[in-house]
Amino acid sequence: MSRILTIWLPRWPVQRRLLERSELRRVPVFVCRRERRGVMKVVSWAWAAPPRSSWQAGPSGPARPAGSFVGGAVAAARIHEGMSLAEGMAVLASAYGSRACQIAEVDHDDPDADRTALEELARSCRRFAPIVAIEEPAARGPSRPECLHVDVTGTADFFGGEGALVRTAVWTLASRGIHARAAIADTPTAAWAAAHHTDSLAAGSAPVNPRARGSRHRRWAVVPAGGQQRMLAALPAAALGLDADVLTQLEGVGIETIGDVVRLPRKSLASRFDPQLSQRLARFIGERAEPLAVPCSAELPTATHAFDFPLALRDATADDVTVILERLVGECIGPLAALGKGVMMLQVRLDRSQVSGDGEPSAPMIFDVGMFQPTIAVKHVVELVLLRMARLRLPWEIAAITVDVVSAGQASCRQRTLFGEPAEVSASQVGMLLDRLSGRLGRRAVFEPLPVPDVQPEHAWVAVPPMQATRRRGTSVSPPSSAKRKGWSQRHDGGHVAIASAPQRRPIWMLPRPVRLEVIVAANCVEPSSAGAASVAAQSHCQPTGVPLAGFRLEGRMHEIVKAHGPERIETAWWRGPTVRRDYYVVETNDGGRYWIFRRLDGSRRVWAGGLAEAWFLHGMFS
Amino acid sequence: MVTHGAASLLTVAWQRGRETVSTGFQPLDRLLPAGGVRRGSLLEWLAADDATGAVAIACAVACRLAGSGASGGESHARTILVVDRGGRLYPPAVLPWLESAAGGFGRERPQLMVARPSTAEDEIWAIDQALRCPGVAAVLAWPGHVHATAMRRWQLAARAGGAVGLLVRGMGRGIGYGRRCERRCEPKHLEPTWAEARVAVQSVAPSSAADAALSGTAVRRLRLSLVGGPWAGDAMLAERATELVLDMASGCEAIGRRRAVGTPRQTRLLHREGLECRAS
Repeated sequence: MSRILTIWLPRWPVQRRLLERSELRRVPVFVCRRERRGVMKVVSWAWAAPPRSSWQAGPSGPARPAGSFVGGAVAAARIHEGMSLAEGMAVLASAYGSRACQIAEVDHDDPDADRTALEELARSCRRFAPIVAIEEPAARGPSRPECLHVDVTGTADFFGGEGALVRTAVWTLASRGIHARAAIADTPTAAWAAAHHTDSLAAGSAPVNPRARGSRHRRWAVVPAGGQQRMLAALPAAALGLDADVLTQLEGVGIETIGDVVRLPRKSLASRFDPQLSQRLARFIGERAEPLAVPCSAELPTATHAFDFPLALRDATADDVTVILERLVGECIGPLAALGKGVMMLQVRLDRSQVSGDGEPSAPMIFDVGMFQPTIAVKHVVELVLLRMARLRLPWEIAAITVDVVSAGQASCRQRTLFGEPAEVSASQVGMLLDRLSGRLGRRAVFEPLPVPDVQPEHAWVAVPPMQATRRRGTSVSPPSSAKRKGWSQRHDGGHVAIASAPQRRPIWMLPRPVRLEVIVAANCVEPSSAGAASVAAQSHCQPTGVPLAGFRLEGRMHEIVKAHGPERIETAWWRGPTVRRDYYVVETNDGGRYWIFRRLDGSRRVWAGGLAEAWFLHGMFS
Repeated sequence: MVTHGAASLLTVAWQRGRETVSTGFQPLDRLLPAGGVRRGSLLEWLAADDATGAVAIACAVACRLAGSGASGGESHARTILVVDRGGRLYPPAVLPWLESAAGGFGRERPQLMVARPSTAEDEIWAIDQALRCPGVAAVLAWPGHVHATAMRRWQLAARAGGAVGLLVRGMGRGIGYGRRCERRCEPKHLEPTWAEARVAVQSVAPSSAADAALSGTAVRRLRLSLVGGPWAGDAMLAERATELVLDMASGCEAIGRRRAVGTPRQTRLLHREGLECRAS
């Protein structure tokens, strides 16, 4: 009996865009297809990080649902595929207010790019099993694939069992910022059904907790061998992947679940219903084989070196491994270079020796090596692989090394001039440096900062991968790039205009989290009567410094304030979630230091006899 | 056998042939022994405290170095790499400086890249790798306690790659400059250095009547003193200390607000405060 792992990537067209532009997580994203007469039809939509406040009673209760690609925000606003963009915007506005529509990002559909990205992901999923296929889109069902089928027959033991394997798959993708749900079953159709309903399977199998009922989320499920008819009987009939007209037909006769369908007499099924039903049911049960469509259109090279005897890495010299890696990487890069392409990501697999240990099968060690731009430099790639290996706990003995190209891109190759072109040479050297740094420090530890129009200082910039930023430089990263959004942000955020025109008011060092200050209140300060007039009153009563403080203590040292500039009121809008209300001051101390401190205004003010007791924080330093 | 002092002389002799780039601040150029920053060398900044402006002036110099590379000098390096171990850099304060460092409309803007190592070993390695890269104009970092071996390694890396290492270090106080020295350490301005120059940065408090013109957050007056490096003992040096005014909006020098210092009186003051020069 075969075992199939199905990985569902809900709303893949949107997820692909979020992977390319992480700043889009803060806004609703619509992927639309242009049809006749310019009508825009929604292909997919999601809002990864919607506001979390409870500012308006919504359709799902007083509190807003958290961001997710299944349930949560996308379930609260009932926007379906095929709906027109205008209708979708109207539904979004009814669920989240008109501001959500103004910040929404609308992008055109690009099925080829979606398919290419999914194929790249399928290649990287070869770490779980060698056969990885992409779901075949149904003729009249969802227009594009969102699932990967991995044939894990016999490979689950390498990962500690099927439960561990399915968890590993979900977590591996989550570490790359991909939301996935996965399930293992006997057939692709059963695994597809289980992966789309992991929540209900978890709720049915786990002991019921009255308080947690309805809120249990699980991203994986394992259907035991031969148990799909029993375990998945309660799932809706739509989980079989049937077309809408077949489902309507079934509903007409009162059949709602998979269990109801299975109980129908099989002989008359084909004559009473659409043939699709009997076909899908046969595939679900396993009576009819379902071939896996392994993508082979753009097969990328792979190279393997198997040792005659297991190589003990402890005894091997660095040159031994380097020579083998250079040969393997050269074999991979050669065919690509002939096509004008370069390597973007490699997967290196170290097969352990089977005879080691206590006879248990040993899992191979697999790791990825990524580049920021396509390269054909063998030495550079080998250097990155060795850097990565130096940071890993390698197996004692290895039986084989496999280098697999997961992703390739168009390499920018030009004929060199006699004396070289220093500007281009230096750019490629910087690219290699960034690859090396990210190979050792981590892919997220190397980035290029770009400004973002946001009033809250913590969110006024975004870290983007270096080469992506180079392509997009010249325009600041603005989540919705339309003129409508620009006008809105200038009207309502108000902050980014001030930041762009007054960078001197921003510190060079900002603390990761504001530090609460122990402050000394100026003796001649009078408590202002209302919070709204706080800044004005403070300025008028606390001259010459302009701040109602005489000093503050930091790290056990007293700093006397001799001059202050401000206040600069920073207040986030109500639709952004928990409100931030702060009065920022740039203060200069007696020892020449310049600090960025703020007073929190969100209801923390308490009046003591003769003075203020307010929350003051240090947020940055003009180092 | 090459002694320590001889090594310094060799360093000096080697550095005479390197391209010298102006820092963009005339007082600083006059203060530095080479009349600017030599490519392929280290420059060490000692900050008296967290908020004295040492990082700001180092950032401004880095922008100028990258800007000269972008506008086509001997070097075409136009990348600044900030090795930010504590995750403290706030890029919105620095990014506008890159525009002004480009030197004109239509010219290519310098690049700012950030690397965030999590350990001290990774930090040393990252600075070393960045200094070795010919495409990098300047490496800005604020390492904590640095062993002389690591600094020598950086010096050789910079010499090989041609980048300028701008290392900001604290004088022992404050919360920002990495980990503190666990054992009893020598004061940082007395430690031997492999940098071409060691400059102490102090911020001038706006207390006197002469500073009335320097109001607001747009400018900052800094006092720079040469307190170490192989050139520090050179009697031919014109100035030992100077002051400059940094325009915080553009990262350039605020012309017309500078006050000339570096008088013999200033030098005497430095000696009295214990900031005597000591060549490595």
